[in-house]
Amino acid sequence: MRKVLMGNHAVSYAVRLARAEVVAAYPITPQTQIVEMLSEFCAEGSLDATFIKVESEHSAMAACIGAASAGARAFTATSSHGLLLMHEMLHWAAGARLPIVLVNVNRALGPGWNVWTEQTDSLAQRDTGLMQVYCESNQEALDSVLQAFRIAETVRLPVMVVLDAFILSHTEEPVDVPSQEEVDAFLPRYEPEWRLDPADPRAFNMLVPPEHYMELRLLIQKAMDDALHVAAEVDAEYGRRFGRSYGIVEAYRLEDAEIALVTAGASSGTARVVVDELRSQGVPTGLLRLRLFRPFPARAIARLLSRVDKVAVIDRNISFGHGGIFAAELKAALYHEPQRPMVFEFIAGLGGRDITPATVRGIVGYLQGHDQPPASPLWWEVKA
Amino acid sequence: MKSAPSRPPVGEPVVFRRLDDLPPLPVSLAPTLANKTGTWRYLRPFYEEKTSPCNHACPAGSDVVHWIGALRGGDLEGAWRTLTAENPLPGVCGRVCPHPCESRCNRSSSGGAIAIHALERYLADEASMHGWRPTRVRAANGRRVAVVGAGPAGLACAYHLARLGYEVTVHEAEAEPGGLLRYAIPAYRLPRDVLDREVCNIESLGVRFMLGSRLGDNLSLEELRGMDAVFLAPGQGVSRPLGVPGEQAAGVLSGLGFLRRVARGEGLGMGRRVVVVGGGNTAIDAARTAIRMGAQVTVVYRRSAAQMPAIAEEVEAARAEGVEFRFLAAPIEVLVDGDRVRGLRCQSMRLGEPDASGRERPLPVPGAEFDLTADTVIAAVGQGLDEGLLAGTGLRAEAGRVPIDEGAATALPGVFAGGDAATGEGTVAQAIGSGKRAALAIDRWLQTGRVEGLPPLGVAPHAMERSASARVVGPEDLNADYIEQVPRPVLPECPVELRKASFDEVNLGIPPEIAAAEAARCISCGVCIGCDTCYIFCPDVSIARAGPCQYTINYDYCKGCGICVHECPRCAMSVKEEGQ
Repeated sequence: MRKVLMGNHAVSYAVRLARAEVVAAYPITPQTQIVEMLSEFCAEGSLDATFIKVESEHSAMAACIGAASAGARAFTATSSHGLLLMHEMLHWAAGARLPIVLVNVNRALGPGWNVWTEQTDSLAQRDTGLMQVYCESNQEALDSVLQAFRIAETVRLPVMVVLDAFILSHTEEPVDVPSQEEVDAFLPRYEPEWRLDPADPRAFNMLVPPEHYMELRLLIQKAMDDALHVAAEVDAEYGRRFGRSYGIVEAYRLEDAEIALVTAGASSGTARVVVDELRSQGVPTGLLRLRLFRPFPARAIARLLSRVDKVAVIDRNISFGHGGIFAAELKAALYHEPQRPMVFEFIAGLGGRDITPATVRGIVGYLQGHDQPPASPLWWEVKA
Repeated sequence: MKSAPSRPPVGEPVVFRRLDDLPPLPVSLAPTLANKTGTWRYLRPFYEEKTSPCNHACPAGSDVVHWIGALRGGDLEGAWRTLTAENPLPGVCGRVCPHPCESRCNRSSSGGAIAIHALERYLADEASMHGWRPTRVRAANGRRVAVVGAGPAGLACAYHLARLGYEVTVHEAEAEPGGLLRYAIPAYRLPRDVLDREVCNIESLGVRFMLGSRLGDNLSLEELRGMDAVFLAPGQGVSRPLGVPGEQAAGVLSGLGFLRRVARGEGLGMGRRVVVVGGGNTAIDAARTAIRMGAQVTVVYRRSAAQMPAIAEEVEAARAEGVEFRFLAAPIEVLVDGDRVRGLRCQSMRLGEPDASGRERPLPVPGAEFDLTADTVIAAVGQGLDEGLLAGTGLRAEAGRVPIDEGAATALPGVFAGGDAATGEGTVAQAIGSGKRAALAIDRWLQTGRVEGLPPLGVAPHAMERSASARVVGPEDLNADYIEQVPRPVLPECPVELRKASFDEVNLGIPPEIAAAEAARCISCGVCIGCDTCYIFCPDVSIARAGPCQYTINYDYCKGCGICVHECPRCAMSVKEEGQ
């Protein structure tokens, strides 16, 4: 059924379709509407879940950890400072191998206080063991949440689905909402192999000495390796069932491109429009959209970009003292390629500053005028 | 996914040699049931019901905490049955008892004491509406007991004996049963139909009432001793005199005499100005009654307001209705005009050292006297046993009372006594407790020839067995984290202007929703309500639900951390050292 939904509500619908059993959350702009609607679903009975009100995001994730440990399908949503407060529990969720799905609405960090989109909050969780999926549209947000539960439960790792503050979260788009029967067929009930069960009690998450700790960490890494394939397979199956798939990275008009734009999140749509425009003018540009950031599809990226001359990575994030986080990851992925493109790093759109077609055109223009990237990232469209 | 690694035999060390041997998360391969953590325990938690302060404070031995519990659960009839298992007169007590239960209520500091009396009255009124009747707990046994006096002690004794299967006859000197409930407590506090209803409940158990049957007049103890047992509860029907000159003048009445005449509907030419002497409930009842009859009323009391024995709410209501108070004033002479009273001369007093009652002794201020104009003087300065009733019975009063032991036995075998005449205690609830004590004693005496197991005098006896320990739960025993501030409801009452003009009931009942909310506000001190706090908090999952308000502790695994006991909001759990 097609509905006009804002990104936040697309997520709420997905969580209901996924038959989440426990929702634990603390409100924070711009995420609040997600759990607000879920609480209404719980209250009206259209979602048979326990909604746990908590006093912090740390507790929200802790409650999800408890629920998932007992075998429940658990969901939470947060943003920005909320996600940062959750940080410790994110490591725990992954270490305990719990398939929790978390939606993070990308929002800049304070101070200065700012509620608009930026990716630094989610990218700061890079090493927690959560998978990360970045969405371009409200439809993709709904689809990605459904895929996320399936992937998470297959490889036993938590997944973070990420959408941009306001640009997706609060903007209404037509969204196809699949039927419950279709989703039930795609996403069967979660039956964990290990779970808290008073009838068969086990010790969980106890002390692990040095002779075993590394192996458990290796198992997480292997699960991430598996997840790369699982995510691609699940996305392909989703495409067969629902007619929509996204890939783990998306290559748009890259085949003969000389200049490639690299984006993640909602600005990808803007970049796509500019690519079409430049192509119509005969400029051989293409777009690589990062959808899956963890596990990082390094080989797919290297394969897609190694024959391009110049790459412009648009990072809506900043690792202070280094540069754009996507750019750094991407350069590392290309390092072993015999033929490597020039990689230009652009820091743009922080704190919700608009990334417009003009912004993207300007970036392409910069690449056309330069053979070599500068020594440090380019802060794009900033006051001199 | 790979399948779960196989479980090693118990006792075998687990060695992970290959990556595939490991489970994906840190989890024990064997169930932890083998690890009996109960062996670590040196403190043993256990469920222990304790005595709530309301139960402890009730002189009638009402099981307040449990009938409020039933009410909270929506079981109104069950609540009324629990209530009336101890007290046959809830409609009376809910209206006239000074409710010492509420003074001790642990809710006092978190919104105000539970309005126990209002709930009690609510249940009694519900019972009347639904036509619930008390039932016997034992079949009729053919044994006969005579009760002398149909006041609250006699009614309670008759009721409990009838429930236990005895054939009871109550002899009452007045024309209708009730004693002071009918002839002293004014109708605006206790409407007569409420009393009638509860007497009727007692009659429904087979109790017979012989009215106009007065000891020492048309009834002798000797003839009653043909019964299996006799219970004497003649009350304190004699008013103490003022002991001042002029007291014999026309227009000087005793408090009880005045109230009795009003209750009987007898005419009184009492005039416009009425002075009431005394600070007890009879004085206040007389004053408020006189107000309703159009008088200007002054109460003269020799101590200060704080020391009045009357129920504080009653004093407040009297003041609201226009009764004036002259404290620290003692009557020294009734002023007369011919043979009729015209006023009262009073001596101003001051407070000295505490006396035997613990209250500061009133002392005269030399030379400070004043006169009050009065058409009627009502002396309500205490009452006592009519010792004349004992003439020829072989019983002798000591200090104005019929002496009894803790089994309510008098010096005569088979003759028991109670109520104000034996205890001198003075409240309805105390009389009910005293009558119940006698009923239990008579039953034990007739069943076994011995009276054992009754609490000492001054401690309320219980008709039903209680599982609670004797420890009384105080505010410090409760877990304040669970007790929210919720205000006590404002109890409805008739507006002052309306009530001054009639004997209609002043305090009005509460509606069902207020009753439910008030029952829910009760903390249930010392008594489990099945809140699951222990079950939820037990970190060893050693507590299991076993039924309504019932849990079990699996001591194989309980480490004795004591969290359950600590968290229990209402002190329904205890902890002791192992081996103790």
